[in-house]
Amino acid sequence: MLVTQNGAELCALLIDEIYGELPSRIFAVLLNRGRSSLPQLVQYTSMSPRQLRHGLAVLNQHSLLYFDVNSDNGMTVYEPNTDNAYNLARIGKVLEMVDTSLSPSAKDVMQSLLLSGQTRISDLVAAYQSKIDHASNVAKLVKDEGDDWPELNGTNGDVQVVKMPDTSINSAGQLNSVLCRLVEAELVEVIHKKTFLSPQDILRDVEKETLDKYFLAGVKGGKGKIEFQEKVADGLRKVRDESKSLKRKLEQNGTAAKRRKLFSGVGMSNGNGTHEEESGDPGLDPKQVIRINWEKCLVELRNRRLYQFVADMIGENTAYVYAVLLKLLTKRLARCRLDPTIDIKEGEEDIGVGFVTTDEILDNLKTGIDLSLGLGKATKDKISSKAAEVIHEHPPKKKLFIAEAEVDGDASADEEDEEGSGSESGESDAEYEVRGRSSAPVGNGTKVKFADAAAGKEQRLDRPGQLRQHLLLLAESTQHFVRHCGPDEWTVDFVPLMHTLCEAELDSVIEQRSGKPGLRLVRLLRDKGKLDEKSLQNVALMRKAEVQQKMLEMQTAGFVHIQEVPRDNKADVKKSFFLWFCDIEKSATHLVDTSYRTMVRCLQILEVIRQQEKDVLMLTKRTDVKGREKDVMRKEYYDRYSRFRENEKKLFAQVMRLDDFVSLLRDF
Amino acid sequence: MAGDEADDAAKIAILKDALYDKVRDHGSELRLFTQKDLMELGIIPAGNLLLLVRVVQALTDDKLFVGVNSGAGIAWRWRSREDAKKYTSLPNDETMMVYAVVDEAGADGIWNRTIKHKLNMHEAVVKNCIKYLETKGYIASMKNVEHPNKKMYIKANLRPSERATGGPWFTDGELDSVFIAELEDIVFEYIKTHSAYLGNQGPPRDAAGLRAPNKGIVKTEAEPSRGVKRPATEITNDDQAGPTKTHHADGTATSTSGAAGRPRGKVYLPMPAGYRHYPTVLDIAQMINDASFTNNTTLGPHEIQQLVDVLTYDGLIEPIKVNGRRGYRVTRPTKQDTVAFSERRKQREQDGGVLIDAPRMGVKPPTNGLTEAPCGKCPVFELCEEGGPVSPGNCVYFMQWLDIEDSVLARPNGAVTV
Repeated sequence: MLVTQNGAELCALLIDEIYGELPSRIFAVLLNRGRSSLPQLVQYTSMSPRQLRHGLAVLNQHSLLYFDVNSDNGMTVYEPNTDNAYNLARIGKVLEMVDTSLSPSAKDVMQSLLLSGQTRISDLVAAYQSKIDHASNVAKLVKDEGDDWPELNGTNGDVQVVKMPDTSINSAGQLNSVLCRLVEAELVEVIHKKTFLSPQDILRDVEKETLDKYFLAGVKGGKGKIEFQEKVADGLRKVRDESKSLKRKLEQNGTAAKRRKLFSGVGMSNGNGTHEEESGDPGLDPKQVIRINWEKCLVELRNRRLYQFVADMIGENTAYVYAVLLKLLTKRLARCRLDPTIDIKEGEEDIGVGFVTTDEILDNLKTGIDLSLGLGKATKDKISSKAAEVIHEHPPKKKLFIAEAEVDGDASADEEDEEGSGSESGESDAEYEVRGRSSAPVGNGTKVKFADAAAGKEQRLDRPGQLRQHLLLLAESTQHFVRHCGPDEWTVDFVPLMHTLCEAELDSVIEQRSGKPGLRLVRLLRDKGKLDEKSLQNVALMRKAEVQQKMLEMQTAGFVHIQEVPRDNKADVKKSFFLWFCDIEKSATHLVDTSYRTMVRCLQILEVIRQQEKDVLMLTKRTDVKGREKDVMRKEYYDRYSRFRENEKKLFAQVMRLDDFVSLLRDF
Repeated sequence: MAGDEADDAAKIAILKDALYDKVRDHGSELRLFTQKDLMELGIIPAGNLLLLVRVVQALTDDKLFVGVNSGAGIAWRWRSREDAKKYTSLPNDETMMVYAVVDEAGADGIWNRTIKHKLNMHEAVVKNCIKYLETKGYIASMKNVEHPNKKMYIKANLRPSERATGGPWFTDGELDSVFIAELEDIVFEYIKTHSAYLGNQGPPRDAAGLRAPNKGIVKTEAEPSRGVKRPATEITNDDQAGPTKTHHADGTATSTSGAAGRPRGKVYLPMPAGYRHYPTVLDIAQMINDASFTNNTTLGPHEIQQLVDVLTYDGLIEPIKVNGRRGYRVTRPTKQDTVAFSERRKQREQDGGVLIDAPRMGVKPPTNGLTEAPCGKCPVFELCEEGGPVSPGNCVYFMQWLDIEDSVLARPNGAVTV
């Protein structure tokens, strides 16, 4: 991740907020100076090596550092891990996600992992053992640790840790099974010897290894180069997969697979309560060190975001169906964005996503959801089932063309696409109807009632039929939430979809900032490409003055850009064309940076109000006050204290909401 | 010889009239006649080219023929006798030339500087000529929307072309944004009501009972203008009678609170996939013309397409193609309010054009962390830095947002005890 000044400031502030000033200062220096060794750090920070070692240890414990031991001189160099530092802003969200999609006890374990950084399983078990021993005093461990980092609870924002006796771990077996679930969901990964090498170092090592092993004579010719790159990609993949070793082991053990079959599903695993979890999960190797796998967490967070988006665009019931689909689809998806050096070259990367069948979705749908809601009704003759059920076997565009399409504006491309498919399906109309009907008995017996010609106006569809309707609606949406990739098979093309989503998010910012006219102009430019002012006025049906003012306003905000095209060699400014255009990438990067800055401001404001309420806060630190503020403190002070807590919560929530925005534009 | 000449003149005069009448029968004023065309009319005896030249020359002198340099050599078109009379009545050649240039420009009109350039005359002369022609009522000045600052002239009996007036969207050379806004309203309403299903359904999911009040509270906080608006609509309620009453009351809540305070039972739902009757541009044009919202101007499919495009760019509607039929449907249907068009209009009139919080059309855009935070709208965001004149430490916007009074800042930091 390339860090801007604001990004760097944010990372340092986040670390300061959670782990204190010492690590934060070291981290900031590392960000400013880049890769440094201990003596260099001593020089930069004018701290003693002892202090530095302490700070580095904390950073390392929480995976905020990369380090590399030079094999020649034994010198260790440190590098900041900005991705993980930024991820600190997401702690609350991740915990909440684990809470709802796995179980409260899983959240508890996750939280412990977050608090203590990477942990050996045996240590974790031991820590919990003491907790289990003091079952009456459940909250103790977290609280003890909370002493050192009192702010952490605050960082969780709304997701304040509420200790419920029944949600926490109360036996070693349960802990083990919770860990197994987390490992299976890939939310937790294993640390191996290359974990702490920075990506560049890993690449360097792998390249060196590959050279030593296969290309002793050096890489020669174009063919050799390609082969070399493939080998390197293989090597990188191997390194990456090493962190999944625990999961592989679990999978080899039949029980894991069996269990997954039983308990996979969206909120359902909420139900696999204490009594079941005790049953035979294989013990995990206690020597393994585990930590949180942020990449997979991001995938889950992205699913939630998509759910919200659909809920907003279409409706809640449809969104729920979508959530189930995504949950099933992304089970094996390790990360949101594929790594260009490792994944893209495979040429068959859609294997990673695969597809989900209607039956699978049906099996995982909560029974409480009434699928008949959320859809309009229309008489049979008004519906073209042929058009609705069009199957797109291939992704809309090849991955390579996406970059181009971004510039050219998707709309026109889409149109052609649709036109093409429309004519195709027109030819195979009859065939399609037949296929639709014949597939009926295969699936659920009653499934394809929708395609039956006999359907009347108020015909009530059965549940599979209703589900199908929601899926078809998703497939038909202009955002292409879902692709109907085969009869009863559904998939999602994440790359173009996320691109659309980014645009939508940008749109909402633009609309908030510059109003409807601004939005109109930007979307127009996105659709048409580059335009001069006059044509802008004509197409947007707006007055000249209004257009000029809006465009200028938006140029300052970084939403639109201008290009000068000279008419002749003399490049006379008076005669030049000035073309407006809008560059989504550029605006997005700009907005991300603005968001960093806003997050920084939020945290700084927090510091300001902390200073203001310093006297009261000092009071609450006293051991005789702590924990029973309300009873002990004078009302006046308690009011101030509680108001401070309110504001703190608000600011953290705001940081989290900003992160929603940043993740969408940057990471999803 | 003299007799010959007189004879000749008479002959030419006859031939002239005959040729002129014949040419008029053979086409409109715009048709170009080449030499061959004129010969083949059969007026000039024995293909006498010389005679034809003399006749055409005579006609041109009378301004009844206009010589045009077409691609294939010289050609002529005819001019009506009235117009020709105007020419011949002009006092001098300069005026005639100016008039000719204006005439040639036709319905698009011509800029006075172009006249000057074309004729290579002195400015004062051109000015004089124009003045003369204007007072005579032969030409008139006009405005062109493409070049609003240029002084343009047009033949007095012509109406400025669409290009010059800007088509139906312009009134008196100005973009008529009120007219456009009204039409946008109508088109959007039409698409909204015809592309989504007005269903009777409570908020989805079982949590309905809990959810509704919850959101209501949030909304009231967020929209202070709500209180202002309520009374106005309640007055309307009193005038109203019959079945619309309840609907109206429901609808009001919706329009003010946007998505959330939706009354139970009224909500737009998306149409099932493959719906074939999403309104197309032709449908909308038909509707507009049938209802005759516009007088004097007819809006063709092209103009409606422009309107629909604009609405699409506004993110209010989206194109959707079913079986190659390109229709339009409303975006985010479930969030749309369900107030009837006339009701909303009445409300807006009652508010007297005061800006109300609810958008004119559609729903409010979704917000996100960036636009909500004070920084997202901060006018001095770029200047803000620690230690600078504007810094997080003295940020008034954040203090307002967090609802911290200044008194807190001023409070002396004394010792605090339990």
